[in-house]
Amino acid sequence: MLRDIRKHKTQFLSIFLMAFLGVFVFAGVGGESVGLEVNSNEYYNDTNLADGWIYSANLDDDFLDDVLSLSPTTQIERQLIIDSVADFSNDPEIALHFVENNTISMFYLVEGEPLDMNDSDGVWIDKSFADAVGLKVGDNITFEFNGIKIEKTIRGLGYSPEYVYHASKSSVIPDFSKLGFAYMSYKAFPMDDVPYNVLNVKFDGNASEYNDLLSDKLDGKYNSFVERSQHTSVSQFSEEMNQHEMMAGIFPVVFILIAMLILLTTMTRIIAHQRTQIGILKACGFKDRSIMFHYISYGFWLVLAGSILGLIIGPMTLPNLFYPSMSSTYILPSWNPAWSMDFVYVALAMIIMSVAVSYYAVKSIFNENPADTIKPKVPKVSTSGIMERLGFFKHLSFNARWNYRDAKRNKFRALMTIIGVIGCTALLISAFGMYDGMSDLKEWEFNQINHYDSKLTIDEEAGISEIDDVADEVGGDVIMESAIEIESGSVKKSGSLLVLNQTDLITPTDYDWNRIEIADDEVSISQKMADMLDVGVGDTIKWHIMGSDKWIEVTIDKIHADPTSQGLIMSLDKLEDLDLNYTPTSIVTAEHVDKNYSAIKATNSMKDMTSSWDELTEAMWLLIYILIFFASLLAVVVLYNLGLLSFTEIEREIATLKVLGFKTGALRKLLLTQNLWFTAIGFILGIPIGYYILKIMWESSGDSFYILPSISPMNLIITAIITFSLSILVNLLFSRKIKKLDMVESLKSGE
Amino acid sequence: MNTIIEFKNVNKEYKSGDHILKAMDNVNFTIDEGEFVVILGPSGAGKSTLLNLLGGLDTVTSGEIVVKGNHVENFSDDELTSYRAKNVGFIFQFYNLIPNLTALENIELMKDIVDVNIDGLSVLDSVGLKNHADQFPSQLSGGEQQRVSIARAVAKQPTMLLCDEPTGALDSKTGVLILNLLQDMSNNKGTTVIIVTHNAILAEAADKVIRIKNGQIESIIINENPRKVTDLEW
Repeated sequence: MLRDIRKHKTQFLSIFLMAFLGVFVFAGVGGESVGLEVNSNEYYNDTNLADGWIYSANLDDDFLDDVLSLSPTTQIERQLIIDSVADFSNDPEIALHFVENNTISMFYLVEGEPLDMNDSDGVWIDKSFADAVGLKVGDNITFEFNGIKIEKTIRGLGYSPEYVYHASKSSVIPDFSKLGFAYMSYKAFPMDDVPYNVLNVKFDGNASEYNDLLSDKLDGKYNSFVERSQHTSVSQFSEEMNQHEMMAGIFPVVFILIAMLILLTTMTRIIAHQRTQIGILKACGFKDRSIMFHYISYGFWLVLAGSILGLIIGPMTLPNLFYPSMSSTYILPSWNPAWSMDFVYVALAMIIMSVAVSYYAVKSIFNENPADTIKPKVPKVSTSGIMERLGFFKHLSFNARWNYRDAKRNKFRALMTIIGVIGCTALLISAFGMYDGMSDLKEWEFNQINHYDSKLTIDEEAGISEIDDVADEVGGDVIMESAIEIESGSVKKSGSLLVLNQTDLITPTDYDWNRIEIADDEVSISQKMADMLDVGVGDTIKWHIMGSDKWIEVTIDKIHADPTSQGLIMSLDKLEDLDLNYTPTSIVTAEHVDKNYSAIKATNSMKDMTSSWDELTEAMWLLIYILIFFASLLAVVVLYNLGLLSFTEIEREIATLKVLGFKTGALRKLLLTQNLWFTAIGFILGIPIGYYILKIMWESSGDSFYILPSISPMNLIITAIITFSLSILVNLLFSRKIKKLDMVESLKSGE
Repeated sequence: MNTIIEFKNVNKEYKSGDHILKAMDNVNFTIDEGEFVVILGPSGAGKSTLLNLLGGLDTVTSGEIVVKGNHVENFSDDELTSYRAKNVGFIFQFYNLIPNLTALENIELMKDIVDVNIDGLSVLDSVGLKNHADQFPSQLSGGEQQRVSIARAVAKQPTMLLCDEPTGALDSKTGVLILNLLQDMSNNKGTTVIIVTHNAILAEAADKVIRIKNGQIESIIINENPRKVTDLEW
């Protein structure tokens, strides 16, 4: 067996590689996505993250009893959450949590002592913030809120499950030196009577049923209820996870399918080449069973070794490429890749299939008469077909005729090569399509729709006249953005509302990036939201602003498209028509604003936003690059492997041609022609499949993203260049083989 | 008659580990244009080595091979390829036709490597296979395949035809037909034909018989009156 392996070392190597690569990518990309889920779930469980949050200014004992009396409720705890400013030169915003007993959404301690409910002087702060500003356990820190200053001693540093993702309202990327949170005992609050404003609840069962129950039983007694999946931190992180999961669900699957296909083809071929030897072994009196065992063990051990290696190395390496870029945005106590039984099942399927394929390949040889088996297989007969009857066939070059008939005689091999190329093309097309989509999204969002230079986030406390003053000074327009919930029929989706007041700085577009005008009395819904709710122009929908119970019915007048925010756009007039309060949230201006205003909480320039965007999407980019790399690698292995198979099969013909006086170049061209034909066919067929994969991916990329699958000419050209140059590269590898081909040896063997 | 092939002190050694095998040991001979030459010898005597060296499939260890005034032993790989294309018509024991090409295409294939105007059909006609032009090798009998192979070899009008056991895979009756065809090529068309075989009977039909043994020339006999292949006792 070892001798066989040495003789077919490239093919065995490629079987091993194929098994390894397939499982490696599958388990690696999967391990990353499963790892995120496992880590966050463990974190949420360990810290007993709340299932929901009830916001109310009046969380008295009666109300608590009412909530506890709801049958699904299992646990409750009050907190007071106040935004404060810590005493640092950059005025960092720190959310203070005064907790009643810290049993729900517990502080996750990394260093220092555990949170002590009797400690009225201690504070436990956000480790990311502490690290960014250089605070240590034992240091003192002063917070200011509502005109009150409190100074506390840092007892511990750690994380909170409510702050896996924590960004200010003005920036999507957290700046840890400007932003943080702190936990304290309720005893640390300067007043005896703590004005709790949040009730953390744990409950059994479905969150929306609980929500219904709350609004049914306790209507009017509380402001709003946020379920876990709607919590900013949780939802942002789960959206990120969804994107990874979708990538993990599509690419690696396509990848492993191709790998498996090629692996099985190779195994069948190797065994087919061994038929004479099988015949001899049989003739010598070996039992079928022991011959079978011998040949099955080939595939078994190689695929087993490759799969196990892939199972181990994949999750160990690939996830660690992504996690560093993610950990700059998200805070989890641990970033560990995880294994899933799915990986093992896939590896097992691969092993079982390879054994099954070996079994059938050997079996089919056994079924022949042993006397025939000893002789090499009679080459398949070439026949004249339709092509030959067509007049032009006679005028084709010898090269074309030879290749046409060779492909016709070896349909299986041709088919496998084409399928392999289709797979690689599809992978490349969709990877580049993602690249295009991500770039398009950025261009669309930051260039086509938004034209301002600075966006000033208005402080909630600021008065209308103050806001107008700032707007006048910077020559800006005031806009309102608000989280809303839209309902149509039985579908309910959360989205956003954008109220524009005659501004040229934000111009909604349709899906072709053509600017559309939304008249003063019109309501426009985003394309994706319309699709999700299954509504169109003329249909009526119900919606309300989050935190308000007032449901409003409107008729859709227009449909716009937006890549990152799904919901409604309307004018100020329309908003007032609907009898809703106008609460401006930002000022946008074409000027670059550096100045600080008391009415303005934060100022962000377009540049800040695009660079935050780039940082946020870093992990996605990385994934795309990795996929492009592996798709190319797979293409090389597929083409080389199948090329090698066909080379072994036509070695004798090549040798004859060489003896007759054909130059190496001409022979190389002969093989190249076939490779190029198959590559061309596979490439063309791969395009629609790549498009389809891309479409599925964008559709599953989360509710707020809207990206149309598109394949740019550039994408096609790059994919074509990669595919065809790989095809030519592989061919070059063979030209050495042609040169070294031993003519004398190849001619000796009989037919 | 012109001498067109000359072997001068040709040596060929194969190394396998420390062991050196002398496959050609100081071989000298000449072959004239249009000669019908038979190279005889037992298995392992060096017949195939001789043919491979002459056919440009292998290179000498020392010595000279002069073909039409050219020193083959100095040729590069590319030059050897052109040499094979222009000068050598091979006929193999197992025919070695290209299975993907029809009989006619196998012959016309030669247009790709030599600058000779080839009328495939008339060449096929000359070996009596005009009616099989569009058949693939696998649809032809062994004798027919060998005739296509001869047609392919002569189509490019080579300096010599090198035949390695051309009848080895054929029954004797078909074999005689093939040999007769080859003898005709030599006698009537002036083609130099060199046949390697271990069948001593053929010696009587040759213009020149070169016997080799253990890599050395045992004898070179010139037949003044060679017999016709068809008259031999098989």
